[in-house]
Amino acid sequence: MFLDVLFNIDNGYLEGLVRGFKSGILKNQDYINLVQCETLEDLKLHLQTTDYGNFLANEPGPLTVSVIDEKIREKYVLEFQHLRNHAVKPLSKFLDYITYSYMIDNIVLLITGHLHQRSIQELLPKCHPLGMFEQMGAINVADTSASLYNAIIIDTPLAPYFIDCISEHDLDELNIEIMRNTLYKAYIEDFYNFCKQLGGPTEEVMCDLLAFEADRRAFMITINSLGVDLPKDERSKLYPRCGKLYPDGLNQLAKVEEYDQVKMIAESYADYRPLFENVGTNPADKTIEDKFFEQEVKMNLNAFMRQFGFGVFYSFLKLKEQENRNIIWIAECVAQKHRTRIDNYIPIM
Amino acid sequence: MSSLFRGEEMQLCQIYFKSEVAYSCVSQLGELGLVQFKDLNANVNAFQRRFVNEVRRCEETERKLRYVEKESAKEGIEMDEADETCDAPKPKDMITLEAKIDQLEHDLVEVNTNKDALRKNYLELIELKHILVKATQFFEEADNFSIYNRPDRYGYESDDEHVTLLMSERNRSPFAIGFLAGIMNRDKVSAFELMLWRFCRGNVFLKTADLTELVEDVSTSTFQAKTVFIIFFQGEQLKNKCKKICDGFKATIYPCPETLKERREMLNGVSMRLDELKTVLDQSLNLRKSILVNAAQNLRTWFAQVHKMKAIYHTMNMFSHDQKSIIAECWAPKSEIARIRETLDLETVIIFFFYLH
Repeated sequence: MFLDVLFNIDNGYLEGLVRGFKSGILKNQDYINLVQCETLEDLKLHLQTTDYGNFLANEPGPLTVSVIDEKIREKYVLEFQHLRNHAVKPLSKFLDYITYSYMIDNIVLLITGHLHQRSIQELLPKCHPLGMFEQMGAINVADTSASLYNAIIIDTPLAPYFIDCISEHDLDELNIEIMRNTLYKAYIEDFYNFCKQLGGPTEEVMCDLLAFEADRRAFMITINSLGVDLPKDERSKLYPRCGKLYPDGLNQLAKVEEYDQVKMIAESYADYRPLFENVGTNPADKTIEDKFFEQEVKMNLNAFMRQFGFGVFYSFLKLKEQENRNIIWIAECVAQKHRTRIDNYIPIM
Repeated sequence: MSSLFRGEEMQLCQIYFKSEVAYSCVSQLGELGLVQFKDLNANVNAFQRRFVNEVRRCEETERKLRYVEKESAKEGIEMDEADETCDAPKPKDMITLEAKIDQLEHDLVEVNTNKDALRKNYLELIELKHILVKATQFFEEADNFSIYNRPDRYGYESDDEHVTLLMSERNRSPFAIGFLAGIMNRDKVSAFELMLWRFCRGNVFLKTADLTELVEDVSTSTFQAKTVFIIFFQGEQLKNKCKKICDGFKATIYPCPETLKERREMLNGVSMRLDELKTVLDQSLNLRKSILVNAAQNLRTWFAQVHKMKAIYHTMNMFSHDQKSIIAECWAPKSEIARIRETLDLETVIIFFFYLH
């Protein structure tokens, strides 16, 4: 906890920079123009007038959606890495915490790819650049999670999260998903405690955001495991405990058998009741994931209302990712000429 | 009336062009640099404007020119200064210019692919040569050590006949000691050693030797510090584990023969192939350089020309188009109106209206 007045000494430049980046996020008018594009070349032309500038200018050959995706990601990764390189403690530790979730995703990607017999050279470029660590290339040597821990994870910052995951079972599809969720639970609880300990505006903003993320995870795990053969006590071990649903909501969710029961549980929480209304599987309705995304965007935009906190850095990254998803959704619809659902992006500003 | 303390008096004018002469008129006005056009199509998207295809073609040509420039910079070729007084090319000249630049880029890409393939081979052979030299040193040291410690074995007879470390006649069982030799970046060596120790539970032996000079890396084509390593292990499983770990750390493994005689033969073969490859590589590099030097004479001028052309099309995108004529609105300084009129009169029939703002 430090006085607001002292915040700018170490972090003022970076906060200013992040606010500048945030003002370059695409507005609703940009999305309206993008939706009118007929080809990917039109998309590229319009993006030249935005903050993206000439990022696609040097790409030879016909444009594909994956090239656009890669270049957009490269841009915000570069911005994040610039912020990280100039950060000192405690901001540097905070930014490192943000990268741990990408490390978890990368590890799971590599192991799953290895199970499907893909070579390591093919998988490494697909990993998220913010989640790279040195020993990544050797992940495919591990057969069980115990050997994975002993050889590789032990040197990475993810080591303390592995305590619940180590077992002698082989790494197969179901176990990997369970491992991913267990790791994520440990990570998000650790991050929550770190933010609480930082105090001040950081604590207020980040704890809200992380609580929402934890509850969203709990809901999604429940909904996705309704058809799968996952025992109830295993399921309840995957719920992060740092959200608003802890402890009563989580206990109820653990016993759920059907989707309607999930909705009933959500009704007793004022924050989550509106998200479950009007959700359906018709093409015209929004899905529950879309609603969660919308709520997340709203909360991330509100984070910029507070000054002298680190919440803006986290929110900036999440908003850029959402923008990336939006642009790629529109690009895919344009490329495949399937325009019926092209308006299903999540509007940001 | 203008002076140092007041702004220049400006006039809003409207110009009617015929479609055919619009391009050359805008080109002349651009050279003069005295008017600023208003955007009459502000509510139209960038990609729905009239000359968007021409702008795209210019951008594509610019991209090719930038590629050639980058390649020239890599070779350190100096480029001639641009001839900035030249006008933007007429649309029909543009086609020949585009074809020329296209051909240039195509040639360059082809030469580059060939050169890269040759270079890859060349660098791999260099690495192999380093490995053979270092491996000989390893085995010699080990042999010296083993001779001192096991005096009951066969002694030295001659250089070619002496006992190899691995005692090839005896150790043909499945649990023979095998080895892998390879080369990797020096900054990854300690992490590699640690991982090897952890995974194989200390049952392998690793020996490394740093290379004194920087070697050009195959994939990144920059100079890197590299290290030769040899791993000794017993059994098939450990061999597979070591191979996987080497893959993960991007270490390249080369087949290295066991006996001194075979290594010497391989070294001779490699040296010969290296010499041959070097001559071929030099030739292809010379070809590339000559292409780039030829292009360098005109490169900057081409850049200027394409840039001017793109600017003209951007300006023409701002005009409003009727059935046959084009209407443009612009601001011009009152004192220069006569000059502008004169320039436009040089082109064929145009109507030129004033209206007071």
